[in-house]
Amino acid sequence: MNWIIWLGAVLVLVILYMIFKIGNLVGLVKGKKDEEFSISWNNINAYLFMAFMVFGLIGFFWYSFAYFSDYDPPVASIHGKITDDLFWLTMWVTVIAFTLIFIVMFWFTFAYRYDKSRKAVFFADNTKLELVWTVVPAIVLALLILKGLSVWSDITSPASKDAVVVEMVGQQFLWMARYPGTKDKELGHHNYKLIDASNEFGLDLTDKNSFDDFKSLELHIPVNKEILMKIRAKDVLHSVFLPHFRVKMDAVPGVQTHFKFTATKTTAEMREELNNPKFNYEMACTEVCGRGHFSMKFPVVVDTEEDYNKWLASQQSWLSQNPEYMKYVPAELKEAAMIKAGIPLDNAVTVQTAAIK
Amino acid sequence: MNEAIDFKIVEEPKKPLAMNPKKFGMWLFMASIFILFMAFTSAYIVRRAEGNWQLFELPKQFLFSTVVIVLSSVTMQLTYWSVKKELTQRVKPMILITFILGIVFLFLQWLGWEEMVGQSVHLVGNPSGSFLYIITGLHGAHIISAIAFLLIVLHKAFQNKFDSVQIEICTTYWHFLGVLWLYLFVFLTLLR
Amino acid sequence: MATLDVHHQTEIQHHDDHGHDHEHHGNFWTTYIFSEDHKVIAKQFLLTGMAWALIGGVLSVLFRLQLGFPEANLSWLKPILGGWLDSNGKIDPEFYLALVTMHGTIMVFFVLTAGLSGTFSNFLIPLQIGARDMASGFMNMLSYWFFFLSSAVMFVSLFISTGPAAGGWVIYPPLSALPQAIPGSGLGMTMWLVSMALFIVSSLLGSINYITTVINMRTVGMSFSKLPLTIWAFFLTAVIGILSFPVLFSAALLLIFDRSFGTSFYLSDIYIAGEALPNQGGSPILFQHLFWFLGHPEVYIVLLPALGITSEIIATNSRKPIFGYKAMVGSMLFIAILSFVVWAHHMFVTGMNPFLGSVFTLLTLIIAVPSAVKIFNYVTTLWQGNIRFTPAMLFSIGLVSFFLTGGITGIFLGNSAVDIQLHDTYFVVAHFHLVMGSASFFGMMAGVYHWFPKMFGRMMDEKLGYLHFWLTFVGVYLVFFPMHYIGIAGFPRRYYSWTAFETFSGFADLNMLVSVAAIITLAAQFVFLFNFIYNIFRGKHAPANPWNATTLEWTTPRLPGHGNWPGEIPTVYRWPYDYSKPGSKEDFIPQHIPFSETPESNLPSENDQIKLELGGVGTKH
Repeated sequence: MNWIIWLGAVLVLVILYMIFKIGNLVGLVKGKKDEEFSISWNNINAYLFMAFMVFGLIGFFWYSFAYFSDYDPPVASIHGKITDDLFWLTMWVTVIAFTLIFIVMFWFTFAYRYDKSRKAVFFADNTKLELVWTVVPAIVLALLILKGLSVWSDITSPASKDAVVVEMVGQQFLWMARYPGTKDKELGHHNYKLIDASNEFGLDLTDKNSFDDFKSLELHIPVNKEILMKIRAKDVLHSVFLPHFRVKMDAVPGVQTHFKFTATKTTAEMREELNNPKFNYEMACTEVCGRGHFSMKFPVVVDTEEDYNKWLASQQSWLSQNPEYMKYVPAELKEAAMIKAGIPLDNAVTVQTAAIK
Repeated sequence: MNEAIDFKIVEEPKKPLAMNPKKFGMWLFMASIFILFMAFTSAYIVRRAEGNWQLFELPKQFLFSTVVIVLSSVTMQLTYWSVKKELTQRVKPMILITFILGIVFLFLQWLGWEEMVGQSVHLVGNPSGSFLYIITGLHGAHIISAIAFLLIVLHKAFQNKFDSVQIEICTTYWHFLGVLWLYLFVFLTLLR
Repeated sequence: MATLDVHHQTEIQHHDDHGHDHEHHGNFWTTYIFSEDHKVIAKQFLLTGMAWALIGGVLSVLFRLQLGFPEANLSWLKPILGGWLDSNGKIDPEFYLALVTMHGTIMVFFVLTAGLSGTFSNFLIPLQIGARDMASGFMNMLSYWFFFLSSAVMFVSLFISTGPAAGGWVIYPPLSALPQAIPGSGLGMTMWLVSMALFIVSSLLGSINYITTVINMRTVGMSFSKLPLTIWAFFLTAVIGILSFPVLFSAALLLIFDRSFGTSFYLSDIYIAGEALPNQGGSPILFQHLFWFLGHPEVYIVLLPALGITSEIIATNSRKPIFGYKAMVGSMLFIAILSFVVWAHHMFVTGMNPFLGSVFTLLTLIIAVPSAVKIFNYVTTLWQGNIRFTPAMLFSIGLVSFFLTGGITGIFLGNSAVDIQLHDTYFVVAHFHLVMGSASFFGMMAGVYHWFPKMFGRMMDEKLGYLHFWLTFVGVYLVFFPMHYIGIAGFPRRYYSWTAFETFSGFADLNMLVSVAAIITLAAQFVFLFNFIYNIFRGKHAPANPWNATTLEWTTPRLPGHGNWPGEIPTVYRWPYDYSKPGSKEDFIPQHIPFSETPESNLPSENDQIKLELGGVGTKH
């Protein structure tokens, strides 16, 4: 591998030197009339521009039509469909404009290459023309802006009250999901000063909403239901990126951000659609966060409502998995905590004694 | 004969805009300082709007220093007028007074900081205090640069050299820092 | 005609006088090192910028090797990279981030700001407006040496044991504030900040000088409406610099305090490396606002000089006036103003107020209009021209092509709703490398080829120039065009490897193509280097005006001495784009030729000005 690169580099240098030498020699043979402008080289450059334009455009269109599906991640959310439409609208507008200008520009460079017998036209301005090409792009852009703004305001509008709430927490270099639990459907308070090796969320156990919160190392969401994803980070900036749902939102330490979306296809449906039984939704980090930035993968599963509820029911609250933290629960809430967290009451005695110890 | 007349056609050109380049450069420099402080005050507003903003009394020393810096602007202006009217014997004392007032200003700012420490507002802590230290500190640093400039002018004055352009530039800079402080003072008073 | 002859005579006379005045004092140090001559300072900026471009390019090839050939064993690079390679000969992921960060910082600030603007503003402003030197040669010298110091600090930071800054060139805190988060945020980041503070001082000194010179030191007749577009571009660039760099300074200063003195401007609620930090109440988003308030204008600080240079070169080599001079100035002005009110389009997904997002979408997409006008004007300038493909012209056409290709993807990214998916992916990388990076780099190259004869008094080899152009032009397209596809597929920026994700793991072949193209493009730059260095010493002597151009710098002798014109500074009578004027025998009429000498080609309005010209003589008697 390496020696190929070295060899290539050496070869390129040798070729360059040869070209240079030959150029000089040819110049000597010709009697070195360098003062005169070289019309043949001028034509060569003009033809090369033409060739570049033709082959460039052919390559671009051919590759795009032949292979684009490889680069177009399937979309599985409601707003993702809409932003994709806007993306494609923009794509058509810009590709048409691009192609036209590209052709015209290189055609001009070719057609008006130097010719001794011709004189350039003194054409310094034309108000009408300039007005036209100021106003036309402005109108087209105005349309794109209007469409974009209406989509944007839909995406960023407040989530409905019965949206499924999930909290994503980013840290170096992994994601964690916190669910509000089945009993109260509210996320408990958190405080970064309470974070320790077990209490990774910094759960504030004086808040009764925190008792039934549970942690998950997979993001499970129900299909066709609005999800409100609340996002925060523990150390540095991260960014939640769900490519298939067209979701991206930064995770900022000290600030809570959020994004709402609705998934439209379960994992199973997507596997079928793509004919790929191994397909999985994924979450990535898109804000550089250090050494492991490229490996912050978080698996995402979209379930049918039934499966989702089944999964929910199978989850254990964080508190029940870490009963030693009962000691942080205020005395008057202890019983409520155990009920909510799903700690069996006959265990209560052991827990109490553990707390006293 | 004819030659001489034509020669005049290509005489050394006259300047299209008659501002001294150094003076103009100083204005640009002041513009960039102004932007710097605009950035800080905007950051202050943005950060303040986010809440978690600790309130404390603005030290009253800052009020005194405001008076001092206004006075120093007056004496600086008198210096400039003295140079303009070629009353050279008045230049030196005026520069000296301005210089002393500048030092007093810095001293008062320092007392203001001590007062803040007395209220247990430290550089490290809630951003409301940190911002105040940084903004006043940076302004103070610019005052120090102006005092250095003043010393150069003073040094020249003792050699009985009076460069009216230089003194004018110095005066402009001094006034600018005074006005900048007035802005900061009003800003900090209104947006606690 | 008599006037013209006499004019020549007086010039010769004065040449003798000034020869003694200007050229025979000063030793090596004052002539080449601590020179106050704007032309020498320009060359200093150019050479330093080129050295940095080479370093920045090599860094990019290093990380492209990782991306294109993830399995390759790079232990043959051990002599250079040392401990940054692991035992399998793979680049360390943290070093990868440092490479990306340094590549960005170097290219944006040291190459395309100092190397481009520093070189050509210094070289061309006095020469094209008809001034003997900058307003303050001393400040100009300081400006270079601050830049040099800044470069030295940044260069040293490449070799320290914890590595250079590695949090991305945008140095977002908290990553850049916490050495616990990444080793590069230790000493490396401190040096980055020191270097950047020095750079800001250098840039401000330069900008103040450029503006002052343009406003105060134009020669007789050089009204603003007769300024070449290059000067307009440099002037507006300097204005943007003065208004935006202080803001970067403020952002950096607050970061320095957070890092070294424990304040909490940007830090809040952080639990890292097993401990909760005491900082509370800060906002990382505040930094982004301050940074991008500079950062976005910086894009135009990089781009405008390149556009100015291109305007000049395209007009000269099309042998046509630039189309729509006023529209060109107007659009640059408009772009310069708008550049200050669009910064938050870099922050659509930071969770900022959605209404602000809407406002910034609107403002951002408005910029497309003046940009489109510029492209149309360039294309129309080519129309019905008589185009000579000098290397400078090739690079200028290349610039317009990149400006088009890269600019048009801005319409996607500026639209906040579409940006959600594309933000921080390779689509963005492709966009800004084409529209800002490559376009500006091509502007810089075009400028070097075009003004080399005036800088060094010799000609560069055209054929090597063609070779350099075609390899680079095709190479750049091959590097950055495929990135659009990868970006649309969602592949995020600054990823060391994509194998962790099924979604992103399918583009190995395209990534390899990109890397190979990057290596070839870098190799092509050695053609240029050879051409450049060889011809400084061995090139053919250049005529005073090799391109038959109209602007004032070509009225100076082959190697202008300190003071630029041996005789009097020429007076300007006409705009800088009188190419192929109907009726004129030559296809160009330089700016210093009075209308009274060209009755055959004057427009009616210009005939009226003859009276003024003569009147001017009358008053001087």
